[in-house]
Amino acid sequence: MTEFYVLKLLDRLQGIFRRVGVNYPVLRSILQVKLTMDSRRTPTVLAGQKDAKETAEGSPFRIQWIYLLLGLMLILFVVQDGNYMYSMSITFGILMFMISTTLISDFSSVMLDLRDKNILFSKPVDRRTLNMAKSLHIFIYLLTLTLTVTGPSLIVSLFKQGPAFFFIYAAAVILMDCLILVFTALVYLLILRIFDGEKLKDLINYVQIILSIGIAVGYQLIARLFNVADLTLSYEPAWWQYLIAPVWFASPFELLLGGNRSAGLVVMSVMVLVIPLLLLAVYIRLMPLFERSLQKLSEENAGGRDSGRLARRLSELVCGSREEKLFFRFTWSMMRNEREFKLKVYPTFGLSMVLPFIFIFNILWSGGGLESFRSSSGFLFIYFCALLMMTAVQMLRYSTSYKAAWIYKAIPLPGMSPVYSGMLKALILRLLLPLFIIESVIFLWLFGSRLFPHLLAVLPALLLYSVICFRLLPKSLPFSEEYSAARQKEFTGTAFVQMFILMGLGGLHYVISLIPYGIYIYAPVLVTVNWWFWRISFLRAER
Amino acid sequence: MSLVKEPVISISGLWMKYSDKMVLRGIDLEVYPGQIIGYIGPNGAGKSTTVKIMLGLVEGYTGTVQIFGRDISDGNTDYKKRIGYVPEVAELYDSLTAREYLGFIGELYGMKHTEAEDKAKRLMGLLNLEQAYDMRISSYSKGMKQKVLLISSMLHNPDILFLDEPLSGLDANSVMVVKEIFASLAARGKTIFYSSHIMDVVEKISSRIILINGGDIVADGSFAELRERSREGSLEAIFNELTGFDRYRDIAGEFVEVIGEGDSGD
Repeated sequence: MTEFYVLKLLDRLQGIFRRVGVNYPVLRSILQVKLTMDSRRTPTVLAGQKDAKETAEGSPFRIQWIYLLLGLMLILFVVQDGNYMYSMSITFGILMFMISTTLISDFSSVMLDLRDKNILFSKPVDRRTLNMAKSLHIFIYLLTLTLTVTGPSLIVSLFKQGPAFFFIYAAAVILMDCLILVFTALVYLLILRIFDGEKLKDLINYVQIILSIGIAVGYQLIARLFNVADLTLSYEPAWWQYLIAPVWFASPFELLLGGNRSAGLVVMSVMVLVIPLLLLAVYIRLMPLFERSLQKLSEENAGGRDSGRLARRLSELVCGSREEKLFFRFTWSMMRNEREFKLKVYPTFGLSMVLPFIFIFNILWSGGGLESFRSSSGFLFIYFCALLMMTAVQMLRYSTSYKAAWIYKAIPLPGMSPVYSGMLKALILRLLLPLFIIESVIFLWLFGSRLFPHLLAVLPALLLYSVICFRLLPKSLPFSEEYSAARQKEFTGTAFVQMFILMGLGGLHYVISLIPYGIYIYAPVLVTVNWWFWRISFLRAER
Repeated sequence: MSLVKEPVISISGLWMKYSDKMVLRGIDLEVYPGQIIGYIGPNGAGKSTTVKIMLGLVEGYTGTVQIFGRDISDGNTDYKKRIGYVPEVAELYDSLTAREYLGFIGELYGMKHTEAEDKAKRLMGLLNLEQAYDMRISSYSKGMKQKVLLISSMLHNPDILFLDEPLSGLDANSVMVVKEIFASLAARGKTIFYSSHIMDVVEKISSRIILINGGDIVADGSFAELRERSREGSLEAIFNELTGFDRYRDIAGEFVEVIGEGDSGD
C-alpha cells in the first residue's frame, strides 16, 4: 500500500484528533485503505471485452486541467490593488459555487454511504472515528480540488500582494472548505432527523436540487453587491451582506490590508473565523448522531409501487425492437430506484433548470428593457438545459450493484446496440424531455409565440446532442461499473469537448436565426441529421 | 465443573421493529463459553437481525443485550475487539489484496500491522491461498473470498464468533478443515454463534440449536433434546415441523406446473 503524503501531514495534527475523541491509528488506517482503493480500478464484470489497460493506476491527486485553467482566471482578481471587497467577494463567490456544487453532486453519495458499515462498524471502531474518516476522505478531495483552483492565484498573490495577503487567502480557503463541508453535512443531518423511510430518500434528492439552485442564485447576488456601472466599484455595506458567505471571506482582506476599519467588516471578519469553527464543533459533536441516522436510509420499505405502465406505453411508442423496449424499461426503472444515480444527477437537473434563467436575469439586470430583450436571441440560453445530458449520460454507467452486469452476457442478445439506444431513449424521456418542456413553457411565456419554430429546432438539436454525448464518452453498458470519484477526472477532457459542441450548436442556431425564414429549413434539416446520426451511432455501437 | 459459568451473551426481552414489521418479538437467550450455537430459522425469521443487533450494526431495539457482562448500548465499542464476524454476503474491499485487507482488518482490531500481516499470511498458507496472498481479492473465486472472510474474523483471536453461512462456497475439503477449526475453538472455551440454512451441518457441529420463527424462539436445546421432543428423525424434519411447514410436496408440484405453462416468449 502506498504511503500517502496527506497522511503524513495528518500525523502532525493527530493531537487535535485525539482531543475530539477520535481514535487516530484507526482513522489513519481507514483513510489509507480508502485512498488506496480510490487509486485502483475495480475491474468490471465486462472488463474482458475492453482492452486490458487496467495497469494504469490513477492517483486520486492527479491535477485536473480544467480546474487549473479556471484557477488561472482567478489571478485576474487577486492582482487588483485597492478594492478587496469587490475582487475577493467575486473570487470566493466563484470558489464557493464550484466547490459546493461539486460536493453536492459528487460526494453526497460518499457522505450518505452505508456500504462500509458492515465491514467497518462490526469492528471496534466508534462512530465518531468512522464519521471523521469519511469526512476527512471527502475533505482531502475538496482540498486538492480547491488547491488546484486557487494554486495559481495563491502563488501570484504571494509575489504581487505580499505574504500577509497570501496567508489570509490560504487560511480563508481552508476555512471555506470546512464551512461548505460541515454546512452540507448538517443540512443532510437535519433532513435525516426529521424524515423517515422512503420519503427521506426522495427528499434527499429534492434537497440536492434546492441546494444547487440556491447556490447558483446566491452566486448571482455577489455581483449585485457593487455598483458596477460606477467605475470606482464602491462598496456599500448593507444588512443582507451578512447572509452571503463570500462577502464574509472578503472582509478580512479589506479590514487587515485595505485599512477599512468599519464595524461591519470587523463583524464579518470574526464571522469568517468563528462560524466555520463553531459549525465544525457542532458537527463533531453530532457525528455519532449522523452515523446513526444514516441507518434510516437502509431500512427496507415496500418501495414505490410502479406498475410500469407508463414505461411500457412509452417504450411501445419510441422503441423498435423487442430488446430495445426491454432495455428502455430496464433503464427507466433503474433510474427510478438507483439511489447513487439520483444523488449524482439530480443536482445537475436543478442546475440545468435555473441556469438559462440566470443568464436571462443577468442580461435584464445589466440594462436593456424587457421589450428589447424579447426580440433578442436570448432564448438560445435554453441550450443550457442540455448540460444535464453531459452528467446523466456519464453517470448511467455506474451502479452500486454493478456486479449484476453479468446478465448482459448471460441473456441471449443479438447485439449491444438495442441496449444502448434503449438506455439513451429512456434517459431522454425521463429527464431531458420533462426539463425541456418546463423550460419551453416558461420561454414561450417570456418570449411570445414567435419562439415556437425555434423551439422546434432546439428539440432535435438536443436529441442530436444527447447522442453526441453518448458517442464522446467511452462506451459502457448501463449500470455496469462501480463509481469512484478518482476516476471521474478522466472525463473532464470530454466534458470540455462536449461544452464546445453545445456552444457550437447554439451558435449555429444563432446564425440561422439571422437568416429570414432560415429556421423553417434548419429545423427539418436537423431532424434528418438527427435521424441519420442516431442510426449510424447505434449501428456502430454494434461492435 | 466447579464454578457457575458466566454467560458471554445474555439477551432479554429483545424486540425489534423495522418500519411497520415486527422482526423480533421478545427474544430471551443466554449463551455460555464453549458452546457452538446453531441459530436457525426460515428466511426472514430474524436471525441476521439478532446478530446485527449484537454487533451494534442495527439499533432501535428494545430490551437489553449484554455481551461479556456489559450492556452494549452504552456506546463503548471495546467489546467488539473480542468478537469476530462473518457476514452473510461476502462484503469486503475487493480492490485490495488479501495482504492489504487482512492487515487493515487486523489494525482495526487493534493489532500491529506487521503482526496482522504475518499471522494472516500463515493462515492463508494453511488454507492453500499462499499464492493468492498478494493478488487483489476481486480476482478470487467465491470460496477463496469466503476463506479470506473467515481468516479476517479470527485473526485477532476473538472469544465469540458470529458466523452467517460461513461455509458457503467452500469445497468439501475446506469444509472439513473449517468445521474442525470450529470444534477446536469451542473446546478452548470460545463461543460460536452459527446461523445457516444447511441443516445437516448445523445438526453435526452444534452443541445447542436455537430455532426461531416469526421473531420468537420456538425451540432451544441440543439436537438430541429436540429430536426427543418432536419425534422426527432429522433436523430438517424437525425444522419443517416446528415452523409449521408441511406443504413442500404440493408447492414443488405447482411450481413445476407453472414453469411448464405456455411458452416463455410473448
